[in-house]
Amino acid sequence: MEPRTNTLPAQNHIQDYADDEARLLKLLEDIEEHHGFIPKAIADEVEKILEIKRDRINTLRTRIESQVRKDVRTYIDRWGAEEGNLIMILHEIQNQHGYVPRNVVMELAREMGIRLARIYEVLTFYHYFKLVPPGKHNCQVCLGTACYLKGSANLEAELERMLGIPPGQTTADREWHFEIVRCIGCCGLAPALVVDGKTHGKVMPSELHSILSQTAPVGNPT
Amino acid sequence: MKIDRQQLIERTYARKRPAAYIRVGLDTGGIAAGASLLYERLKKIVAEKHLPIEVERVGSLGLSYLDPVVEIQSATLPRLFYGHIQPELAEELLTAHLDRHEVLDRHVIARFDPGEESTPVPNGKTPQLVFVLDTDTDENDKTDFILFSLREEIKRSIAANPPSVIRALDMRLYNKGVVVWIPHLGITYTHVLAPDVTRIVHQTLIKGEVVEDLRFKAPDKQQRVVLRNCGLIDPERIEDYLAVDGYQAFEKVLFAPSSDPVIDELKASGLRGRGGAGFPTWLKWKITRDVPSDIKYVVCNGDEGDPGAFMDRSVLESDPHSVIEGLLIAARCIGATTGYFYIRAEYPLAIKRMQNALDQAKELGLIGKNILGSGWDFDMKIRLGAGAFVCGEETALIASIEGKRGSPSPRPPYPSVSGLWGKPTAINNVETLAGIPAILQMGGASYGAIGHEQSRGTKVFAVTGKVRNAQLIEVPMGTTLRDIVYEICGGCQGKAAVKAVQTGGPSGGVIPEAKLDSPVSYESLRDLGSIMGSGGMLVMDENDCMVDIAKFYLKFCVDESCGKCAPCRVGGYQMLQLLDKIARGMGEASDVPLIRSICISMQNASLCGLGQTAPNPVLSTLRYFESEYQAYIEGGRSYARKMKKLREGGEVVRIP
Repeated sequence: MEPRTNTLPAQNHIQDYADDEARLLKLLEDIEEHHGFIPKAIADEVEKILEIKRDRINTLRTRIESQVRKDVRTYIDRWGAEEGNLIMILHEIQNQHGYVPRNVVMELAREMGIRLARIYEVLTFYHYFKLVPPGKHNCQVCLGTACYLKGSANLEAELERMLGIPPGQTTADREWHFEIVRCIGCCGLAPALVVDGKTHGKVMPSELHSILSQTAPVGNPT
Repeated sequence: MKIDRQQLIERTYARKRPAAYIRVGLDTGGIAAGASLLYERLKKIVAEKHLPIEVERVGSLGLSYLDPVVEIQSATLPRLFYGHIQPELAEELLTAHLDRHEVLDRHVIARFDPGEESTPVPNGKTPQLVFVLDTDTDENDKTDFILFSLREEIKRSIAANPPSVIRALDMRLYNKGVVVWIPHLGITYTHVLAPDVTRIVHQTLIKGEVVEDLRFKAPDKQQRVVLRNCGLIDPERIEDYLAVDGYQAFEKVLFAPSSDPVIDELKASGLRGRGGAGFPTWLKWKITRDVPSDIKYVVCNGDEGDPGAFMDRSVLESDPHSVIEGLLIAARCIGATTGYFYIRAEYPLAIKRMQNALDQAKELGLIGKNILGSGWDFDMKIRLGAGAFVCGEETALIASIEGKRGSPSPRPPYPSVSGLWGKPTAINNVETLAGIPAILQMGGASYGAIGHEQSRGTKVFAVTGKVRNAQLIEVPMGTTLRDIVYEICGGCQGKAAVKAVQTGGPSGGVIPEAKLDSPVSYESLRDLGSIMGSGGMLVMDENDCMVDIAKFYLKFCVDESCGKCAPCRVGGYQMLQLLDKIARGMGEASDVPLIRSICISMQNASLCGLGQTAPNPVLSTLRYFESEYQAYIEGGRSYARKMKKLREGGEVVRIP
């Protein structure tokens, strides 16, 4: 078969599509529809683009991993000599990332020479550690006994309705993380609500919308 | 090489003891109420205007219901405590005290004078103040009437230097009619009526005599031992703690040839663990001391997981050095090599202040190698909890410090014999440790003179819930629950009557109104089906449904169960299902006996305190309020729906 080097105009433009996967995919689909197959010349060209991309991604990955490795080394240097240091290291990881990312834990397991399952055994036992990234803003309802007696269950129900998620979850737009806490020690202000670290006391369900809207938009207005 | 205390105190007081100071209570509760903003504003105004007054940071006085609380001593006015000082009032407070030499109306916390004496006002020109407040809860407030009559009478009768009459914010007396407090004479009058006004002005204010029939003589029901420094010193500066004789008890213990005198003192004091179980502290120390081992540990249990309790947080935030000193004394007595503070991660301010206090103590050579030249080495570290209630149990706490899951293990062996990494370990609660320096200084016998039967000394309680004044109190053991709820905390909010008091959190039980006359002690609370616990005290009123409360506490324990032993893991869950069934109005008559039998199995067969005590809220509500369970069972779903609706609406529910 005659080589079709100069029969395909798309081949010369394909580099223009390199940075836009969606357009590239569309182009390939169009060609396939038009020709019934993807010509080798085009396929080679795409392969070249992919090779470059793969290289770039690999560079990124090593960069991230070496950062992770560096962090993990710092934690271990700080706490390594101490017995029973695992929980303190996990606290440091959560302080840095806002949660405990899996790749960091894997690196930690490698560096400390303990099994991943052993770390997860501890991680999942304690409520304080988060395994998924939390939302941008944090909304905590205190469900200590004093707050409960003064109606914080109503606050919980109202927030669940407003944000459209049960406690312990994050809204789809990742704006709000909503959780229940057991006693923040402000029993004189019951029922209490903590929004991004700021405590609001004696909160009525009707005030929730205005309190939350000061920080970020809320899905369902009252 | 002892601490150069004098030099330190001089350094502190050269700057600290001016004639005028203003102290802001900056603990978690105060900050939530706006105290940090107030503190910043006061500092800014004082700096800008170069006012002759020092703004200082202190911890919490325990008066949560009056936050933000401020103590002020200006050159021309006696020392006063103010409550509800919102940041907006900063300027007004300063101008009133410094420019106009006046007291703010409606903000003074009357009859409150903990700690040191007020600095006398120079020239002897003490302005005479008279505070008035109606302490009854009915709508008919007679304060203004008496206030007006007093002012008129004073205007008529006293020409030179007339006393000013001010409306107080809180008299710390309740249901005693109109109360009049005259601080410069130290007199309190209760149940003051219109005809008494002339007598008060002529006899007391003019002649300085006491009107006996009006005089309120009862002594203060509170006694501050553990809370001695809370809210009065700066928790972030060791000099302040040294200035109130801090670390003196430790110094004595450190250079004593033997630890026997300390253990004897503690034995004489009758101090028992304030974490709730009430094991004699001296015995715990003695056992740990007598186990031969090259390595021993001391641990301070600050994992205050009980919802509704904030005693430990308050002490750690307001007076961290007293806890450090207590732990140092414990360590020296039993010969420990390392100490751990186990603090909840949910208490960031407590952790920060504790870490800061540890750093300062290390700097002064109170912790570390060759402490104060005695040749004794001891190190202290902070370990953070991570949100597990069960870690308050000592064997689970040990597992957590070791970096493992906080699962309890069977005892014996007790931690005193085999604790952290298999070494002898003494674990004490924050409150126990904070009290020890004070006990050793006042003498074990005089501390032991306070109290009731087998329970000696004082106990701190966090009184919260439907109570009028949620606050932290410290009372001698043997004070009745009624005194605590009605006399100190003013009874219930609003018109509803007190229905029950719950002590000990999820491990405790409810005590009905009728039994409130029983004294607070380890034994009497146990006999009532509750426990002393760490000191949470929840007041419930008539609108609270006991089935719902039992369910709430049980849910907490089920959530927090570590899952290691079956009685707790399975029993708790099954019982919760039964309670839920009853609360939904689908209960059957046979459910109550079944719940009882599960409770007994859990109490007997669970591995640790969490499972053994989890049935307490259920059993005690069944014991005193079984009729409420029966009402749900008989009333069926329509009754349950009605109750649920009322609860959600926040309306008044009279429960039969």
